[in-house]
Order: sequence, then structure tokens, then C-alpha cells
Amino acid sequence: MSDPIIDLKGVTKTYSRGGETLAVLDGLDLQMDRGGYYALMGPSGSGKTTLLNLVGGLDHADRGTLQVCGEDLDELDGADLARWRAANVGFVFQGFNLIPVLTAQQNVELPLLLSPLKKRERHEHASYALELVGLQDRAGHRPKQLSGGQEQRVAIARALVTDPELILADEPTGDLDRASAEQVLDLLGRLNQELKKTILMVTHDPLAAERAGTIVHLDKGQLGSIETKASGAGAPA
Amino acid sequence: MIPFRLVVKNLVKHPLRSALTVLSLMVAVFLLSTLRTFVVSLNAGVEQAKTNRLMVQSAVSLFVYLPDTYKAKLREVEGVEEIVRWNWFGGYYQDESNFFGQFGTDPAALLEVYDEIEVIEGSAEDFVGQRTACMIGQATAKKFGFEIGQTIPLVGVLFRRTDGQPWGFKLAAIYRATQKTMDDQTMFFHADYMRESLDQGEATGPSGVSVYVLKTAPGADTTEIMRSVDELYENGPQAVQTTTEAEFNAQFATMVGNIPLFVNAIGLGVFASILLAALNTMLMAAREQTRDVGVLKALGFTDFAVFVVMLSQSLFLCALGGALGIGVAILMDPFVATVVSMMLPTYSVTFDTLALGGVMALGVGFVAGIAPAWRARNLKVVDALSAVA
Repeated sequence: MSDPIIDLKGVTKTYSRGGETLAVLDGLDLQMDRGGYYALMGPSGSGKTTLLNLVGGLDHADRGTLQVCGEDLDELDGADLARWRAANVGFVFQGFNLIPVLTAQQNVELPLLLSPLKKRERHEHASYALELVGLQDRAGHRPKQLSGGQEQRVAIARALVTDPELILADEPTGDLDRASAEQVLDLLGRLNQELKKTILMVTHDPLAAERAGTIVHLDKGQLGSIETKASGAGAPA
Repeated sequence: MIPFRLVVKNLVKHPLRSALTVLSLMVAVFLLSTLRTFVVSLNAGVEQAKTNRLMVQSAVSLFVYLPDTYKAKLREVEGVEEIVRWNWFGGYYQDESNFFGQFGTDPAALLEVYDEIEVIEGSAEDFVGQRTACMIGQATAKKFGFEIGQTIPLVGVLFRRTDGQPWGFKLAAIYRATQKTMDDQTMFFHADYMRESLDQGEATGPSGVSVYVLKTAPGADTTEIMRSVDELYENGPQAVQTTTEAEFNAQFATMVGNIPLFVNAIGLGVFASILLAALNTMLMAAREQTRDVGVLKALGFTDFAVFVVMLSQSLFLCALGGALGIGVAILMDPFVATVVSMMLPTYSVTFDTLALGGVMALGVGFVAGIAPAWRARNLKVVDALSAVA
């Protein structure tokens, strides 16, 4: 691996439940290339979402080092970590997690409030992001006025509007029907192929995982196997 | 950067709940302003009392009359410059509900001692010079449409005319009070007119004087004057109690109990209840927005930004309620003043009271919002995102 955007060494994360300590990630070593499309698979409780949260700076590891987008995440805390997230990572959640009181346009504009852009520029950027996901005509709609697939596309627009290097998607098709799921996966594929975004997607869906160039299997908090496509969509450049 | 758009949007999301909270704050601020104005009005006579006026009353009670003959001896006390008699009349105009304060007095001395009385219509000379003349405050004159020159019939309750007819007082002057030590409601007439009517058997009622007001000379030792006066009648026939005007007013204000304490307690009780209601609203709002908090943090908003968003919602709601309450207090001021004019003739809501209402409303907003905001600030992103709304 010549240019890793994600470099994990000996990462361990434990949780305490009812007095019992459970190692969700157990000394994980993993590297992911810049511009790659990765699917993270494994049974429930294997540590997929925990890994995604650690890579996205939403949580801290108990042990080990995490270098993501050139930053050692263990060195960052509080406001610094928040600023790092705003600049480097776009999140796509299973439940979409749009702010219900805001319109699609306003939801997409939300991360841009943290940028130095002026109001008009923020509006233009958000409109462009919505256009990329094919929802410019739904800009004034609130989340509850959109279908699940449309909501997730708005969430993707929100994730890419700040032009982050890394997009982390946690079961992005988990709440969608097959047709909507295909649209969302097509979109993620385009972000990777055309905009050169690095994508790390947690999924249970083998068809979704097929879209990725590399499938990483986790099992009981440890690395299982890594499948890499030789060529085609999602394959490493 | 703080996403303030979310503050208003979240409040509008539950319009009924937000409106009820705002309304409750509005009512609370209005009540607080009104109740505090009661207290301020009660205390105004104490705080603004003149230091050169001393009040001489019966040592037994304000309702026990002092002999008329005291006036001459009081004038001889060193440092006393002028004396005014105040005799409570207690009559009514046409109907018992048309009640206002009426006092028999010494007109010339009254205008000399109470320089805050300004005659704005009619003539002070006519009031002083005519035995049956009277002077009335502008508020009462306006209320009953009294005009200069007309005879005002008053039915005496304490002092009844033996022919069964009402007393007749010719309106010679209308005054306004330039300070809160005097009100705009009272009627003054010649104490001598009442005294002569009693002496000639034209009327019945208690004889004597309710209160003697002494105006002291500039630089006079008021403590010494009070001691001298009290000593003068120490052995009767009627012992007196001499106080400063401030003490007298304070005693008068607390005759029916510690009203300020009572009223302040009610005001604080109202705000405590509203605080709980606002807190409940904010806790519900914060619970509903837990997932949004996680999203904001995941997008890169800092813990502080989230804290501000949550606290701002509470402050905004309460500030709006407070502003409306202040507006209502201002709008209702003339109406409330009219309703309580007999009891509190100087009732008028002050800027300080309105400002206190605003500060209290913001205080409620801060206290109600700080706990949910602090919780949101400290919430871990992963915990917030996994919350079920």
C-alpha cells in the first residue's frame, strides 16, 4: 500500500456492559488506500460500525494508533477533532439522519456553515450537490416529504458538499428497497470513480459489497479476510 | 459558527407547546410587574417622604382623635414653622361606590407645607378664602366630571348632617401632585367648616384632629422636635406619638399586614412554577433533539456550538414571553391604575419593574435551558446517534 488514507495499528476498543468487558476491536491492523472503495462486512457484533466510528473520529480507541487523512486521531480531541471531521469526512448513515426541521437544501448547507463560504456561495454549493444526486427539484422539501431513497441521496449530498476526501457510509442501503438501494450504490460508485472520493461502507448486503473494489471481512473484532477486485468498477486504481 | 436557524426551526416544530410556554412566561412577567408595582407604589410614600414634615398622632391609635387645642401649643415648639390639620371625613359622592379620600384641613397651611400640590385649575386663593370651598385632585375631578364652581354634595358617614342632607362643598381648585408623596385623588376642604357645623349642632361626629402635620424650620433638629412634642403631652390629656413622614407612611402601608412580603412571595411563587414549566418544555425538546445533536457533532459542530443551540432555544422562548409580558404590563398599566386607584393612587409601572421582569424571564430561560444544553454538550456522538427519538 503506497498511499494509505487510513492506517490502523493495533487498534483495540472495548465496552463494559454489566460489569463485563467486551473487546469489540482487538488489536486491529488495517490500511486503506486513498481513492479506494471499501466494503466492510462481517456478522453483527464483529466491530464494523465501531471501526467506522473510530475512523470517522466519532469515538476514541482504547489502544493502538489511527492515522486518517494524514492526521493521528489520538492526538485530537474536542473542538480539534470536530474541525477535523468537518474538513475531511462525510458521513452517510443507515437512518439518513437528516435534521427534520430543515429542508433538503438547508440540510445540505448545514456543514457549510463551518466553512468560510458566504451565504450565497453556501447556497450555490448546496444546490450543486443536490444536482449531483439528482434532487435539485426537491430542494425545498422537508425530509418527511421525501422517500427513503431521496432522503439518503440528500444525506449523500450533505456528505460530499464540503468536498471531503473520505466518505464513511454505515449501512447506507439498509433501510431502502432494492431500486432505491441501487440508486444510492450507483451514486456512491460515481463519487468514487468520478470525484475520486475514498469510500468506506459498512454493509450486510453482498450485492452492495460487490460494488466495492475491496471487501474487508471482520470477525470478532479482528481482521478476517480481504477480497480485492482485479479490475472494473470499484477496483483500486 | 452556530447554526441559529435551528433554534427557531426547532421551536416552530411544536407551535402549540412553544406558544403555551411563551404565554405562561408572558402572564408571569405581567403578574410580576403588576405585583411589584403594588409594592413600589406602597413604598413610594416612604422612600420619597419629606424630611421636614413630622406627623403627630394619638399614641393609642391613628383612629383616636387629638384635641383641637393642641394646635396652639404645638406652634410654640421650637423649630416648628407651620402646622396643618388632617381630619378624615370618609364621605361618598352620590353612591357609596363613589368613594375617594376627603380631609378637613387648613387650606393655606396645606399649600404651604405640601409644595408638591400644584393648582392647575381654579384658584388657590378661592380655596383658601371661601369657608365651604374645596380642592380636588385632577384624577377624581376627571373621573366624576367635576368642574370649577360647582357644588359637590358629599354624604357623610362619620360626620352626618342633622338635616339629613349631604354636605355641600364648592369646588374652587383642582390640583395635580408633582411628587409621589401626594396623590391626584384626594379632596381637601376647610376643617373649620366641619368644626363649626359640629359646634352649631348642624352635624354630628367625633371632635378633634386625626393628625397634625408639622413643617420644621430649615436646619431644625427634628429628633429634638419629636421628643419635645411627645414630652409636651406625656401626661395627657391625650398622649401623642410624633414620627417622621417616612415612618408614618411605612406604618400606614403595613396596617393590613406585611403586604410587600406577601406580594413578593406570590411573585416568586409564580416564577418558580413557570420555571418548572419551562424546564419541562426544554427537557422534552432536548430529548427529541438528541439524534440531531449527534448529527451536528458528526458534521463537525463543536460541543460549544451544540450547547449554544440548545440554550438559545430556551432563552429565545423566555425572552419572547418576557417581551410580551412587558408589553402587556405597559398596555394594562392605565387600566390597572384605574382599578386600584383608591387603594394605590400612585400606581404606575416603572422602567425598573419592567426591566426586572425581563431579567427574570431571561433568568428562567437560562436556568431551564442550562441543564439540557449541558447534557447535549457532553453527549458522545455515537450515543446521540444511537438514541431513539
